[in-house]
Amino acid sequence: MLGALHAFYTQHSALIQVGGINAILAISLYFTLATGLLSLANAAFMGIGAYTGALLTMRAHWPFPLVVLAGGVLAATTAVPLGLPVLRLRGVFLAIATIGFGEVVRIFFINWSYAGGALGIDGVPRKTTWWHIYLALVLLLFICWRLRRSRAGYAMEAIRQDEAASATMGINVTAYKVAVFVAGAFIAGIAGSLQAHLRYIVDPNDYGFSTAVDILVYAVVGGMNVFIGPVIGAALITALPDILRQFTSLGVQPGPDRALASGIVLLLVILFLPEGLVSIARFRPWRRRQTTAIATQRARAGP
Amino acid sequence: MKNIRTVALRTAALGAIVIALAACGSNNNKTANNANKPASAAATQAAPATAASATRAATPAAATTSAAAASAAAATPSGPAKTVKIGAAFSLTGAAAQYGATQKNGAQLAVDEINASNYVPGVKIDLIVDDDASAKDQAINVFQQFINSDKVAAILGPTLSNSALAADPIAQQAKVPVLGVSNTGEGITTIGDYIFRDSLAEADVVPQTVQVSLQKLNYKTAAVMYANDDAFSKAGYNAFKGALDKNNVKIVDTETFSTNDKDFSAQLTNVKNAKPDVIVVSALLDPAVGIATQARKLGLTQPIIGGNGFNSPAFIKNAGDAAEGVIVGAAWNSASDNPLSKKFIQAYQAKYGSPPDQFAAQAYTGVYILAEAMKLANSTDREGIRSGLLKIKDFPTVLGTFNFTPGRDAQHQAVIQIVKNGQFVPLQ
Amino acid sequence: MAQQIVNGIFAGSIYALFAVGYTLVFGILDILNLAHQAVFMMAAFAALQAVLKWKWNFGPALLFATAIAGVLGILIYYIAYRPLRRRPDTYFSTLISTIAFAAILEALALRWYGARTSRFPLNTFPDHTFHIGSAAFTLLQAVIVAGALVLTLGLQALVRYTRLGKAMRAVAENERAARVLGIDVERVVLVSFAISSALGGIAGVMYGLVYNSVAPGMGHAVELKGLSVIVLGGMGSIPGAVLGGFLLGLVEVASVAQLGSNTRDAVAFIVLFAILLLRPRGLFGRRLVREV
Repeated sequence: MLGALHAFYTQHSALIQVGGINAILAISLYFTLATGLLSLANAAFMGIGAYTGALLTMRAHWPFPLVVLAGGVLAATTAVPLGLPVLRLRGVFLAIATIGFGEVVRIFFINWSYAGGALGIDGVPRKTTWWHIYLALVLLLFICWRLRRSRAGYAMEAIRQDEAASATMGINVTAYKVAVFVAGAFIAGIAGSLQAHLRYIVDPNDYGFSTAVDILVYAVVGGMNVFIGPVIGAALITALPDILRQFTSLGVQPGPDRALASGIVLLLVILFLPEGLVSIARFRPWRRRQTTAIATQRARAGP
Repeated sequence: MKNIRTVALRTAALGAIVIALAACGSNNNKTANNANKPASAAATQAAPATAASATRAATPAAATTSAAAASAAAATPSGPAKTVKIGAAFSLTGAAAQYGATQKNGAQLAVDEINASNYVPGVKIDLIVDDDASAKDQAINVFQQFINSDKVAAILGPTLSNSALAADPIAQQAKVPVLGVSNTGEGITTIGDYIFRDSLAEADVVPQTVQVSLQKLNYKTAAVMYANDDAFSKAGYNAFKGALDKNNVKIVDTETFSTNDKDFSAQLTNVKNAKPDVIVVSALLDPAVGIATQARKLGLTQPIIGGNGFNSPAFIKNAGDAAEGVIVGAAWNSASDNPLSKKFIQAYQAKYGSPPDQFAAQAYTGVYILAEAMKLANSTDREGIRSGLLKIKDFPTVLGTFNFTPGRDAQHQAVIQIVKNGQFVPLQ
Repeated sequence: MAQQIVNGIFAGSIYALFAVGYTLVFGILDILNLAHQAVFMMAAFAALQAVLKWKWNFGPALLFATAIAGVLGILIYYIAYRPLRRRPDTYFSTLISTIAFAAILEALALRWYGARTSRFPLNTFPDHTFHIGSAAFTLLQAVIVAGALVLTLGLQALVRYTRLGKAMRAVAENERAARVLGIDVERVVLVSFAISSALGGIAGVMYGLVYNSVAPGMGHAVELKGLSVIVLGGMGSIPGAVLGGFLLGLVEVASVAQLGSNTRDAVAFIVLFAILLLRPRGLFGRRLVREV
């Protein structure tokens, strides 16, 4: 039994590790989404964490746990001056501003010759193991779970529903928004640092708009109303190429066909499973009356 | 509480289904070609199924996964027609997709020829091509599948140098030989002694380009343009800068751009104002075409000297008149009079209806190099292929007479060419 | 110097043409149609197909491509927008649905045409170079600039003076009221998508022609710059998109000329940032209708 498990892991270790990191990234987005903020800056924060981690390990030889934390801290620190002005923008403007930020960061890294410029940093020693990743993930999930029934959790939910009303009720909206933004950045930074020590290389092009979209897709496909949703989404999308490989004999060749399948999956999910795949787990996929349904769900004390 | 439990249970069920799908999926055939080939057991019976994890002790073959074991029961034929699996990780989608496509063609052509001519006596090569999506994560994943699931004897690729930096270490750890057929970046073969490449690095070609062009054109100043967001172009720039400095050519202007840029008018106008004798460009094919065309339109008449990105019939076709007079240093020349090269071009054109490019040539050569290694070592397992690769000496290939350097890099004569009347001809 | 200005105007005209479609949809519906860049790309391929495979002349090919783009716009409306109308978070879900739609279009293009960059045959458009002082530009470039101006002026006229335009502005102002007033909102939205996509398609064909490069990924570069342009110009403002496009083109070229080519891409986003923080409504920030 143990042998089979071990063998399974070996064969799929890439998937398991990368899936774990993607899950962490998806959760980093969840915090902001749960508060009603669409921020696409997390890929950039991940990049900041990755560069910090790689540089600290290779130039300053810090111990690994410290390096990972430092990645998160630096990302979080960047988030504060960014967040304060940007978070007062509404809806789609916030998304656009964060996209812009992400691109500026990416271009900065491409031009930063100390860190290798466009070539990035390679030869990063591999220090991340699966239990690092899953420890972080489990910790995060635990925090999310506790958050749900806490005051902070309810406040986030209230802000998501109606900002103005929440403010009148005495919730310090700005503080919460900045807090979740910074929290998301911290988590993304940690994910970035872990990933840098997994892949041997830090490449500035990995932290731009398309990565930000990928992370968003994890969260959306999985479901954003429950904290476990983004994790499911990350797991599925990461595993999708391998799942599709099974259909190669049916003519789904590697390459454009798989890309097509991914696009179709995303479209189907957003059209028919707006609550994400998690809603299958709760057997309520075919929602039409979104407004009423969500409202009733909110009223209930459950997840 | 009850709600959470139900959700958790159903979520776990969902998760289990996802994992099961992924697990079952990876053991099925990769490409339609494979539909009838027998299971992998025959190919790597000599090498233990090395676990890719960090454990070093010899893992007994029984550690194969339960899912894979299903097909492992096939008897090992001890007589003729052994099948050896070779994995090819090429970029079939993503930014490098246009290179991956021709690489796939070149490799497949070689495999078909080798199998038909029984080049390695008693051995048939089974080429498994998979998409690394021009992305590191996918490259790593594909490598893992090749090593653990398909149990290949050797791997070709991946297409991009950056992907190689991420995925090659895995093969090194698993002691699976990797032959890069398009990696020209730095730091690749230094990953370990199982990593080889047949693609001549820019650092080797460029100094020759500069020297030969200097002899012919005798220029004193140069403007240099390069893409600063691409490892290949950047490496080319470093090589050009070093060679120009060494030969006392003054660089009067340096311009950068992004590989995806289409508009170079601003940079070219700067170049025009700097009045250099020649314009040196290190870029991939698309920007190369754009720069050449727009330079001529803006009235720049200086000779253009290009790196490997210019080395493609597509460059001449798409730049039209602007391509005339451009000097290119390259690892492979479609106008080469190497008889093997001529045969290759004919066969490729016949099979695919279009002329091959350097990527196809290098992939094609890569397969032949692997086959030769098998022959020299009289073995088709991982260790055997590796020792065979080390034995390769003065091997005649489409790229010329080929050797590996002590560092397992490619070594063969580069060709400096100039475009004359719409064709590449060697620059004397 | 003159040359750089010409360069800037020309680069800007493509941005302008692309951004106008973007801003039209945003102005009326408050959603960001991220499939716009995929339509841009598909139209270029459609024109390419007509010229290369069916040996058409450029004019008919352009019309064909525009029609295809319009059809794609209608498809986007039916598939990616309409089913999501009733949701409270429409801007978000349409962001995702249009991303998905774009991914599907790209995958199809990849499948049909491969990843190689395809090109128009070199004689597709007559090749003349003109000179103004020390600056050089081609006939094609001139046509594109002129075309961009004409099309956007035409659109502006449509919006201001026609019944359809008035209906569009009404829907932009207050959808429910418009419906109550008897305006067929669905039809207006449908037409808006079609027009927006058609303009994006024309931009795509021009882009593919002038840079002689058509590839499945070609929309991505313009997509993000397009965002900067519409923010700069003011979301929903057509003249804003045009002016913003030209401005961005000029600023980009200036930064390359003065500060070095590293800065080119950064400039677009720094501008974006600055605008969002300092003057979020952009240059002409208003909807298609004056805000009261």
